[in-house]
Amino acid sequence: MTDTLQTTRLTLRRPVPSDWAAFLDFMMSDRSTAFGSHKDLARAFRSFAAELGHWDIFGYGMWAVTLRGDDTAIGLIGPWTPPDWPEPEVGWMILSDKAEGTGIATEAARAAIRHAYEVLGWPTVVSYIGPENTRSIRLAEKLGANLDPEAPQPKPDAPVLVYRHPRPAGAA
Amino acid sequence: MTVTIQTPRLTLRQPDASDLDVFMAYTGGDRFRRERGEKPLPDQWSYFATLLGHWQICGFGRFLVTVKETDSVIGHIGPLFPAGWPEREIAWHLWSDEAVGKGYAFEAAQAAVRHAYADLGWDTAVSFILPQNTRSRRLAERLGAIIDPDAQGMSFDGVTTLVYRHPKHGVAA
Repeated sequence: MTDTLQTTRLTLRRPVPSDWAAFLDFMMSDRSTAFGSHKDLARAFRSFAAELGHWDIFGYGMWAVTLRGDDTAIGLIGPWTPPDWPEPEVGWMILSDKAEGTGIATEAARAAIRHAYEVLGWPTVVSYIGPENTRSIRLAEKLGANLDPEAPQPKPDAPVLVYRHPRPAGAA
Repeated sequence: MTVTIQTPRLTLRQPDASDLDVFMAYTGGDRFRRERGEKPLPDQWSYFATLLGHWQICGFGRFLVTVKETDSVIGHIGPLFPAGWPEREIAWHLWSDEAVGKGYAFEAAQAAVRHAYADLGWDTAVSFILPQNTRSRRLAERLGAIIDPDAQGMSFDGVTTLVYRHPKHGVAA
């Protein structure tokens, strides 16, 4: 199983315990208001531990997004498939302000979605996005994803937007 | 490298991905539901994912306890210290009613406390126990733990735990 992806500017690698500091900074910042672990230390730890555990269990998971030549995690992007998730997801958290306006998130997400279709062989890929999370909505639209109002909800009591990613051109 | 502890009747071993099904059987079962309430499948799953992640992050964590004779898993127990915890804990959970009353929890907990002090070099260790959990309190007392009224407890659904502090019996300082 591929643990690492390379794009023009980025290395996407399996997250490691030392990424905790970057993850914690994000969860304690105003960037993470759309996420359940926002400003809750114990929940933030559990979320991060589950990111690592997801890799143990499935052999894949969300990658730590790093700039080539700098190992600092600036985002987490990739497959997220807990049981009972109605469809396989590519999720993302952009940890650092530095990624803002650089196209880094787009570049990483494109690689992750292509990987999900081509290497993991998923029949479809969605992203679950909180209705208030405008930055994420913009990214989904930039990626060419379409809002699917008919799609099943991961947590019906707290509905989210379901964006469906088209199969990338040339993908098997 | 995986960590394993042997006691006369039990093996405490570091969980891995292949334990997912047996863990989910526990979290989907009656005893878990009675103690922790109904939990949707993703929450049960993330409990297990977090258990594995804790080992990666901290280098220690809770073991699965198996009975040597039958190879069945009867609980998870061990050192626990995630971010947001007031202090280092020895936590225990028995998985089935059948495992109760055989002294297994005592045997496993004694080994876990010893492991924390002797192998991990902890200065002190506590167990956070809800006041109404009499069975768990009896176990803590049998282990020689003493309520520390000055220690900060944890709050679950508005109820604050007692903090039992474990002595370093027989463990060289």
